[in-house]
This record gives sequence, structure tokens and C-alpha cells, in this order.
Amino acid sequence: MFGTLFLKECKQILKSMVYYIYVVVFVMFLTSQLSGEITQKLEKPQPGQESYGTINSQDESDVMEKELAELVLETYHNSYTTYPLGFYKGVVLNEEEIARVTSIIENCTGKSWDQLIKEMETHYSDYEQNSIQGAMQAQIAYSVAPAQNLSYDEFLRNMEEVCRVVGAGSSYQRESLQAGVSVPMTYEQAVEEYEALCSKDRVTGATARLFCDYAGIVLSVLPVFLGVTRCLRDKRAQVSQVVFTHRISAFWIIGSRYCANVCMAYLPVAVTAFVMQMPYQYHAKTIGVAPDVLAFLKYSVIWLLPEIMIVLAVSFLITELTENVISIFIQVFWAIVSLFSMVNLKGGFGFHLIARWNTLGSTTQFWQQRQQLLLNRGFYFALSLALAALTVVVYEKKRREGGTVYGKIFKGRK
Amino acid sequence: MERYLKAGSSFVRRQYMPHLLLAFLFCLMSGFFVSFQNLEASQAAKVMEMYFTFTGIILLTPLFLPEQNKEIWLLERSKAMPLWRLYLIRILLAVILLAAVVTFFTQLMQGSGSVFPWGQLWWGSFTEIVFLGSIGCFVSAVTNQVILGYMVSVFYFMANIGASKYLGKFALFQMMKGEYGFVPVMFAAALVLLAGGILLRERVK
Amino acid sequence: MDTTIEIENLSKNFGKKQALRHVNLEIKQGMFGLLGPNGAGKTTLMKILTTLTKKTSGDIRLCGIPVERYREIRQMIGYLPQDFSMYGNMGAYEALDYLAVLSGMNRKERAQKVPKMLEKVNLGEQHKTRVKAMSGGMRRRLGIAQAIIHDPKIIVVDEPTAGLDPEERVRFRNLLCEIARDRIVILSTHIVGDIEATCENIAVLNQGEILFQGTVSKLLEAVKGKVYTMEVSAMELPLIQEQFLVTGILTNGSMANIKIIAEELPVKGAKPGHADVEDAYMYLMNHASASAGSV
Repeated sequence: MFGTLFLKECKQILKSMVYYIYVVVFVMFLTSQLSGEITQKLEKPQPGQESYGTINSQDESDVMEKELAELVLETYHNSYTTYPLGFYKGVVLNEEEIARVTSIIENCTGKSWDQLIKEMETHYSDYEQNSIQGAMQAQIAYSVAPAQNLSYDEFLRNMEEVCRVVGAGSSYQRESLQAGVSVPMTYEQAVEEYEALCSKDRVTGATARLFCDYAGIVLSVLPVFLGVTRCLRDKRAQVSQVVFTHRISAFWIIGSRYCANVCMAYLPVAVTAFVMQMPYQYHAKTIGVAPDVLAFLKYSVIWLLPEIMIVLAVSFLITELTENVISIFIQVFWAIVSLFSMVNLKGGFGFHLIARWNTLGSTTQFWQQRQQLLLNRGFYFALSLALAALTVVVYEKKRREGGTVYGKIFKGRK
Repeated sequence: MERYLKAGSSFVRRQYMPHLLLAFLFCLMSGFFVSFQNLEASQAAKVMEMYFTFTGIILLTPLFLPEQNKEIWLLERSKAMPLWRLYLIRILLAVILLAAVVTFFTQLMQGSGSVFPWGQLWWGSFTEIVFLGSIGCFVSAVTNQVILGYMVSVFYFMANIGASKYLGKFALFQMMKGEYGFVPVMFAAALVLLAGGILLRERVK
Repeated sequence: MDTTIEIENLSKNFGKKQALRHVNLEIKQGMFGLLGPNGAGKTTLMKILTTLTKKTSGDIRLCGIPVERYREIRQMIGYLPQDFSMYGNMGAYEALDYLAVLSGMNRKERAQKVPKMLEKVNLGEQHKTRVKAMSGGMRRRLGIAQAIIHDPKIIVVDEPTAGLDPEERVRFRNLLCEIARDRIVILSTHIVGDIEATCENIAVLNQGEILFQGTVSKLLEAVKGKVYTMEVSAMELPLIQEQFLVTGILTNGSMANIKIIAEELPVKGAKPGHADVEDAYMYLMNHASASAGSV
């Protein structure tokens, strides 16, 4: 019975316009983000290259140098990036506050503000600033040395002071400092990275991660529309009463609808991931690595499927509860909060809805954080099952009592 | 005149209220997510463009919601008051509210020590907000499905984060880059979409 | 197993409003008509019987099973709601097949029964017609097909003939009678003609209370000898309507042939007339409102 219902639901989804928009938007977004040629980044590093990219470092002196550099830049532009409630908020200081921060900087570096600015400007003038690549290089290489007698504890105290001025959620907070900073890679580190890429990721693993990063962004919103559409179809077609009186239990009705939507939402994801993996599979062979052919499947199932599941489960629950489109707003909001709250575009998965890894490679770092990702996705997987189960309960309650909770509250207005 | 006011107020009470509340809540929460203090022109533009544009989607997309039901649509079409006037009232209402939102928050920013050319930002923000909303409005008119209206407008917003360079004068988030040349074209486009939406709803079988 | 529905002392409140008050009913095999004006509580009663709403108090047993055991109840009822519809983009066959799955029928049963049912309700040739392209009558016939496809013991039909043309209405009634041969069919309606043509047993519901319960002939007995016809001038009509219960008017130029119900000969020249169910119903309702007014 489940199989039959499931197939019937899939067929219904295939007939709906929302689904085709879903597929088109998904494919368009992914191709626009991933169409660039990125195989050159998968070449073996050669000694004497201008740069080898960056690597995360938690070394205390590295942290001090990079954080001070960032503080100088942000103060120079008078524009501080903060995430007070996990959502991006740009902070601009007044003159008095600026003076406060510059004196902290002077304290930490032992140099005057004017001197620091001059040094910064000479540093940046060494790079080609008009190209994005040049600007990035300059950013990566820029650092500000702390005063020689500055201990790490003292530095931390100073940063606390900065936090008081700038407000909560800045990159000078202790947690943020502990997460480490990006520093330029040396040749040896680059070779090590490359070897990890070949042995652990087998090339396709790294590209699959990048795919999941972009796909994760759209999938935090897209499935909402499928879920809301499905749940409102009964109301729109006026079939709820008929369906309610049939013998089948709510578990099978909601279960088949939910599973069909999850599968149909996942299908184009898997197909796109597979197609996009092909050139890298080929590339891996040309550099003598046996590619992980199933990487697209492994990564998309672990990374994206739980996301699709939770997004759909929430939209099912809210829509069955309220019988209106409110879940679209709530979930778009949720997705945007999640997207903008990422302090780090690479890892730091925590319990974010969208798991990001906006880089090709960084294999070692990823494998260090893998546990965290699995925990995050496992949590959402379990939560979505719980919410789907709750939807079954809500549905059965509606069926028995003939109305939604929301409907009862707002009944007076009709 | 009285008839039009009546039609408008009935729409607000019966159908529009949840959407109004939502927009209100959204504005109320803005303080948690964006700053209004000491901003310069591009930062002020960012607040208007990336946050408040959503009010356009919230308020303009559901305007054809009552007539999504074909019977109601037919019934209303048979009445003496032409449908387009009914729709025009609703659109005017929504647009006035959006203008109020833009006015309030640009004033708030100015009052909190932000410095920017007020008139320019006002027109730019108003245009972008109405334009994004008019996309939702138009799509829901064409498809007779409000959900699709939300879907397309939300994705238009998201597409602009990554791919605004392909959209020319119709790209959002231009004021953040100090670009204001889009205003007349986009404003005209918004008017065309809104008028097109009304016309379609009037005609569609 | 017995095929009866027993309802004892059933009440249903929506907030302060009492939709059903101490209803007692016994419904036996065959067609059962539930008659009453709009808002009398018919739909509420049907919804309770079909497990769509919970009762406030009282006892209901369908074929011996209390209504609280809703899973079992759902297996043995078929329900055709007043505004039956299906997903617009499904064809007739597809829609019926889908609902048959919801009734727990397996592939083999469905392959056998769905075409048969469509034949039975005269949709065999239009099995591909999409629901949104169907006429009211076709949709209603599809509705009855889904209500009986799993061979339920009890079928509940809410206002089935509203909006149908006379020909379709007759066909639909006949279909119902045919179905009712070996089960209970509860037909709720405010159209007296439906009841007259099909039901032996009826109940009249008004303002949540049972006004009458029994056979059609028993209902007719109540107005026996109280129906009169007479010819009056159109000018007099308003006056007569004020005084008597007028159940029929046929104008003919400046004169009108009218049918009235009165306890005794109303005016000289009035002739005894033939009483039908509609007269009886009107009499009953009039009586009820008169007694309610006097309280």
C-alpha cells in the first residue's frame, strides 16, 4: 500500500508546475556557480610558486598577527562585521569610539596609528588591486606584528575591550579567536594538502564538497515550496474531507507524501551532482588518481538529503497546522539567517541548517571537522523524522476534530 | 469613492490582515538584524536593499489571493465594479504602505547619525521594493498560484546575490555599489508588471 | 452481523452553540432520509457518523461498533460530502484508483473494481476526463463511486442532488436506491422531493432536535385531511398567506390556485386536496416554529 501511494504521489509531483520550477532553479543556480574552470586548482604544487593558498592556523602568534591586521583594516574603513544574533550586522563607530579602538591597536602593536596606516598602504600597493585575485593575495599576505612584549593573555584582554566597543558577535570574540585564522601556506604544507586531496578525497570528494556547499544554499529554501504546495493541495482541491473518511491511517497518508517529496526533491540533486562530477573524474585520471566515482552520492546523501528532509518536514508541519503559506516566510527567514550567520564559509558546522565548505580542497581541515558535520546532519535527520511524526499526529487530530489549531484561534475573524 | 474605500477595507480585514501583521513583525525585528546608526550611503543602501526589499514580496504578492478561487473570481467579475479597479485599490494600498516603510526607516537612519542623500536613497529603495514585489504579484496573477509568486520573487532576490551582473538595469543591490541609474527603468518595469498583472486577472478565463 | 445505527442522546456543542440536542435515532438497512432546513444540524450529524467530528455527549453504535473506535468505523463507511471534489488534474479513473488505495484495496482488487464502478456510475467512457473538466453531475457520480467502491456497510450522502439537473437527479436517486438494497444509505437533504422518491424511513431535524422519526406514510398521516385547494384572486393572496400556511401557488391570470394546510375547512369553497411529503414537512416545520414561538 505504501508503495502504491508513494508512486501516486510522485506522479502527482511530476504534474505540478512548482516541481519544474524547482528543478530549473536548482540546475540554473548550480551551473551558474560551478561552471568556472576549477581543475587548475587541482594541480600538484610546484616549488617557487607565488602563493599556495591558505591554511587554517591556531598558532597564537598567527592569531595575533591576523586579528590585528583585520582590526586595522576594519578600523581604517570604519566598518565592522558582527553577528550579534547569528545574523550579519555591519557596525559603524562614531569618532570617540574610533579613537578608543585606535588606542587599543596602538597599545597592542607598539606603533602609532599613522605608522600602521602607512605600512598597510605600502603593503597593498605592492599588489595588483584591480583584479580580484590580486586583492585576495594582498589580503592573505597582510599581517600586523604585535608588540614584542605583548603576551597572548594581554592580547585577549585588549580584544575583549574592542568587543565592548564594537558590540557582540565580532571576529574579536574569544570563540572566534579560538577557531583560528587563515595564513598563507608554505610549499611543504601545500604538498601535504595535495597528497591528502589525492589519497583521502580522491579528487572527486573535494569537488563534491564544493557542490554540496552551493547546493546547500538553495536547498535551504527550494523544498519549502514543494512541501507547502503539497499540503495546501487538499485544501485547494477540497478533498480533505473525502480523504479523511477513508480507512487508511494518517501515518501512511503523510508518510507517503513526505517520502515522495523527499525523493523527488533529492532526485535532481543527485543527477546534477553526478553530471557535474564527470569532468573531475576524468581529470583525476589524467593526474594519476583513481577517482571516487560514488563521491557525489555519498556527499549528497549525507550533506544534502538531511537538509531536504528537515526543510520539508518543517514546511509539512507548519502547513498542516496552519493551512496557509506562512511557512514560506518562516523558512525563507530561517534560511537567510542561517546563510548570513556563517562567520566562516568553510566548516564551523555547529548546528547550522546550511553546512558550508566554500573551497576546493582543504582536505585535512575537512577531515578534522568531519565528525562535526556528521553530528550536525545526524541531528537534522533525526529532527526531521520527529517533525514528520508530529505532522502525522497533527493530521490525525485534524481528521478527528475537524479543524486546525490555527483555525480555532482565528475562527473569530471569518 | 465610498464604494472603493469599502472594498479596500473589506479586503484588509478579511484577507490581508495576516500579511500586514507579518510585514509589521518583519519591520519590528529589523533592529536585531541590521544597524541604523552612523551609516554611510552604501551601508544605508545595503540595509534597505537586502532587508527591507522583503516587505515588497510580503505585501504585493498576495493581492490576488481572494480570487484564487474561481467561483469568487467569476462572481466578482459579474459585479458592476470592474475588477481592475478593485485590484488597483489593493495595489495602491500596498504601495502606499511600502512608501511608508521606506520613509520611516530612511528617516530613522538619518535620525541616528547616518549620512546619505535621502531623496536618492528613498526613490531607489522604493523602486527596488516595489519592483521585487511586482514580480511576485505578476507571477501569481499569471499562474493563479500565490505560492509560485512567492517562489519566483524570493528566487529573484537570491539570484541577485550571485548573478546580478547578468540582469542589467533589473539587478537589485545596485545602490550598495553607488549605482542609481537603474531607478527609472526598474520603476517603469514595476509599473508594467503591476498593470500586466491586473490586466491578466481581468481577462483570464 | 446487524446493520443498524443506534444513536442515543447525542449532543454536540460548538462553543456555546448547540448544534445537536439529545438526538435519538435508530437507522435500519435501506434508504434513510434525513430532512431539515439549512443549518438544522444535518451536516454535523453526518460528520459525527463519519468520524470527522467528535461528539460532545451520547452514544453511537454503527453495526454494533461504538463510534469512538474510528479506525474500524472508517472501514465500513463510505462518505460523499456535499461539495465533493478531487485533485483537478486527475482523470476519473486515476482519482477513483487513488481513493481506492486510501480505502486499503490492493492492486488486484482495484484493477477489477475501478472499471466496474465507473461503468456503474456511467463514467466508463469518460474515465480519462479530468476532474476539473467535469460537470457537477459527473463529479457527484464519481463521488458516489468512491463512496461505495470498498463495499461499505454504511453510506452517508450529504445533499447529493443539489445543483443537478432534473434528469441527472432522477438517475442519481435510482442509483442510490439500487445501492441501498443490502446496506444503509443515509441521505441528508433539504429537498423534499429526494426523500419522497427514495426513502421509506425518514427523520426530520430542526435546530438540532428530531421533530419526526418514522415512515413516510406516517409523516403523511399527520396532514391527512388538512390539505385544501382553492381559487382566490391574486389581490387576496397576501391576506390569506398571513392567515394560513400556503404550500403551493399557481397563478392564472388575475386568479391563483393555492394549496393550504389548515386544521379545519378554512373558507367556504375550499376543496380537500392531495397531501404530499412537502405539505407534511411544511406542516411539521410550521408547527415547530409556532410552538417554539409560544414558549
